[in-house]
Amino acid sequence: MKHLTLATALSALVMAGSAWAQSYPEKNIDLVVPFDPGGSVDVTSRIIAETANTILEGGEINVVNRSGGGGVVGQTSVATAKADGYTVLAMTSSVVTNPQMKGASYEVTDFRPVALYNLDPEVIAVPADSPYETAEEFLAAAKDERLNIVVAGIATSHHMSGLAIERATGLEFTYVPTKGFGAQVQAIAGGHADAALWPMGEASDQVGPDGVRILAIASEERHEDFPDVPTFQEAGIDIPIWATFRGWAVPKGTPDEAVEVLSDLMKSVYETPEYVEKMQAAGYVPVYRDADGFEFVVNNYADQTSAIIEETDLGQ
Amino acid sequence: MEMILLGFQTLSDPMVAMMLLVGVIAGMVVGSIPGINDNIAFAVFIPFSFSMPADQALALMVGVYCAAATGGAVPAIVIKVPGTASALLTAEDGNALARKNKAGLALSIAITSSVVGGLLSSVVLLLFAPSLAKVALEFGYVENFALAILGLSSVVGLLRGNILKGCISAVIGLLVATIGFSPMTGSPRFTFGNVNLIEGIPFVPLLVGLFGIAAMLGLKADILKDRDANVATPSLPKIGSLKLPRGLVRRLAPVWGISAAIGNVIGMLPGAGMLMAIFLAYDQAARRFRNKFAGKPGENDWGGGAPEGVAAPEAANNAVTASSMVPLLSLGIPGNSTSALFIGALALHGMVPGPLLFTQHGDVAWMIIVAFLVANIFLWPVAWLVLRTVSRSIFAIRKEAMVGVIAMLCLMGAYSDGANLFNMWVALVAGLVAYVMRLASIPLGPAILGLVLGPQLEASLNNSLNISQGNWLVFVDPVNHPISFGMMIFSALLWIVPIIVGLRDRAATKKDTR
Repeated sequence: MKHLTLATALSALVMAGSAWAQSYPEKNIDLVVPFDPGGSVDVTSRIIAETANTILEGGEINVVNRSGGGGVVGQTSVATAKADGYTVLAMTSSVVTNPQMKGASYEVTDFRPVALYNLDPEVIAVPADSPYETAEEFLAAAKDERLNIVVAGIATSHHMSGLAIERATGLEFTYVPTKGFGAQVQAIAGGHADAALWPMGEASDQVGPDGVRILAIASEERHEDFPDVPTFQEAGIDIPIWATFRGWAVPKGTPDEAVEVLSDLMKSVYETPEYVEKMQAAGYVPVYRDADGFEFVVNNYADQTSAIIEETDLGQ
Repeated sequence: MEMILLGFQTLSDPMVAMMLLVGVIAGMVVGSIPGINDNIAFAVFIPFSFSMPADQALALMVGVYCAAATGGAVPAIVIKVPGTASALLTAEDGNALARKNKAGLALSIAITSSVVGGLLSSVVLLLFAPSLAKVALEFGYVENFALAILGLSSVVGLLRGNILKGCISAVIGLLVATIGFSPMTGSPRFTFGNVNLIEGIPFVPLLVGLFGIAAMLGLKADILKDRDANVATPSLPKIGSLKLPRGLVRRLAPVWGISAAIGNVIGMLPGAGMLMAIFLAYDQAARRFRNKFAGKPGENDWGGGAPEGVAAPEAANNAVTASSMVPLLSLGIPGNSTSALFIGALALHGMVPGPLLFTQHGDVAWMIIVAFLVANIFLWPVAWLVLRTVSRSIFAIRKEAMVGVIAMLCLMGAYSDGANLFNMWVALVAGLVAYVMRLASIPLGPAILGLVLGPQLEASLNNSLNISQGNWLVFVDPVNHPISFGMMIFSALLWIVPIIVGLRDRAATKKDTR
C-alpha cells in the first residue's frame, strides 16, 4: 500500500485547472473499451463511470465498447481520434506490446496517460495438491525437469513474465497457452499442468484447498491479503515488479487542462468509499496514480517487454 | 438440499420471478427474429443490468438464454433461417415439414422437445451440479482433443449422399478457423494485415451471414425464378394448428430422453459447446429413424420432414443451456460465446465463477440453477403466446418484402456485435459463400462444426503434445488418459461402423439379385 501514499503525494503536485478547464467538459465524454461487454476492462470501466458520473459536471462519461482484433480496433480508433479530451481509452498493458506483436498501426507514444486505476502483479500459482509447497521447491524442481507452465497465450504479458523468469534464473519452461481464465483454472485445479502465471486479481479468487496455491508474487511488497506469499525477489527471482495495468489514456496532443480534469476526476472516484467497495467485490484492487505516475508505469513496462521481445524474437 | 431451497427462496421474490418471465418472453421474441440472436441481446442488455440487483439481472439472463435457444427454431422452421446457431439442424426437417403445410406440427414438436429437454437437464443439474463439476475437472488438454475429434466424427452421421462434399465442407470450416493468431506462436496469420481479423473472423456476424443472408439470397432467387416462369410466388407456409398427436409424443419420448442425455453430458464438459451436442443428438436420432421408420408408408425421408430431425436437436440444445452452467459456474468456463457473457454479468455484481462460487454466493448460484427449471416451465405458455402473436404477424409479411426486412435485420445484428462496420462485410461475404455452397450442394453443417471446433482442436493438440513432449500415443493411453482412449475408440467406430454396414448391405443385395 506504500505506492498509494506515493500516488497521493504525486497527485498533490497536480495544479488546479485553468480557465479552459473550467469549461471542460461541455459535453459527454466517450470512454472507449476496446473489448466486449462483461470483460475485466469493461466491468472496471463501468464501475468507474458510475461513480465518476456522480462527480463530473458538464457532461457524462459514456462507456463505449469497440471490440475486435484483440483490442487493436478500439485502441486504434482512440489513437486517431480528435485530441479534444472527449475520447478516452481504457488503456491496458496490451497497448504497449500490440504494435510489435499484433502489427497495430499506432505507437505507445500516440497515447497520453491520464491516470492509473488498477495494477495487477504477476503470481506463480500451482494446484492445491501440488508437490511444490514453496517457491524454492518449485524453482529447484524446474532445474531438474522442464515444468509445464500455463499462460493465457504466447506473447501475452504472462508468457513474457515467464520468459523474464527464465532470463533471471537460467531455467527453461514448457509453455501451455490456454485461452480464457476459466480454462486455465481448470488446467491447474485439475492437475493437468504444473503451474500457471496469472495476474493476482484473478488468481486470488481461486486460492483454496480445492483450487490453487500461490507461491510468489512479482511486486515490491507482499500482498496484504496473502502475507505468507513471498515476493519474486524474496523467492530468489530477480524481478522487482511485473504487473499488468489498467488506466485511462487520451490521444496525444490532448490539452493539459483536459488531462488534469480527467486525472483529478479519477482521484475523486478513487476517494469514494462505494467505488472502492465495488471494485474489491469484483476482484480488483483499486489504486490511483496520476498522469506522471501512470506514464512511469507504462514506460517501465515498455522497457521490460521490449528487452524480452528483442531477445526472444517474439515480434513480427 | 438446503441450498436448493435457498435457491427457490431467492427466486420466489416476485421481482426476481418477474424478471425471469420477462427474460423468457424477450428471449423467445429475440430468438424468433432472424438476424438478431441471444448474443446480441445479451450485449445490449449487460450495460443495463449494471444498475439491477444481481439476482434480478441473472434471472433475466437465464430467461433470455433459455428461451432464445427455443425461439431460434421458429424462423428455422418457417423460412429455413435458424434464429440462433442452436437451430441449425432444426431447419432441415422442420422447414421440410413446413413446406408440406405442417408448420404448426413442426413448431409444436420443436417447442415440446425444447421444454422436455430443458426440464430433464435442469433436474439433473439441480441434483448433481456440485459432483458433476468434479467430472469436468478431469478434462485436460488430451481429453479436449479427443472430444473435438468425437465432435467432428459426428459429422459422418449427417452426410447423406455425397460424403466427399461433406468432408470438403468440414475442411472449409477448419481452414477458416485458422484465421487469426496462432496459439503456437502468438502471431497473426492469414489476416492480410487487417486488424479486425487478428482474433479470427468475428463469430456472431459470421453466423448471421451464413444463416440469414444466405437464406435471403436463396429466397430472392426463388422469387425471381417464379417471376421468370410467370408463376405466382407461393406464400410462406401458414403456421396452422399447433396440436401434437399423442402417438407422436409416445414415438418421440425415447428421442427426447437420448437427446437430453447427450445434451447433459456434452453441456457439462468444458469447452464442448452446444453445436457438438446437437450434432451428436441429431446423429443418434438419424440412426434410430433409419432403423425403425425409414421407408415405411407415410414416412418422410430423413431431412425431408422426419419428426425426429426436429425433436433431437431441439431437446439437445435446451438440455445444453442448463447443463453448460456446470462448467460455467464451477470453473468459469463458458460453453459458447453467449454463456461467456454470464461470467461478465456475474463479475459486474462482484461474483467470480469458480470452485468457490457455490460456497461464497450459494444463494445466487443455486438461484441460477433453479431458474433454469422454472424458465423451462414458463417457456411452454410463453412460446404458444409468442407464436400466436409476434411470429404470426412477422411471417404475415409478403415474401418479397421479407427478404429486405430480414437482410436489414441481419446486417444490423452483425454491426451491433462490437459496433464495427467490418462485421457487416463479414456477414455479407459469409452469406454469399454459404449461398454458393448451397448451389454446389455442399452441406453447411460440417463447415460450422469445423469452425467451432477448429480452434479447440488446434490448441488442445498443440498443448497435449507440449505436455507429452511430442508423444502422439498420449491420446490412446488407456492408463493415464482413459477418457481420451474411450472417446477415440468411439470416434473410430463412428467412421468404421457405417462402412461395415454398407459393405454388408452391398453383399446382401448382391446375393439377392443372384
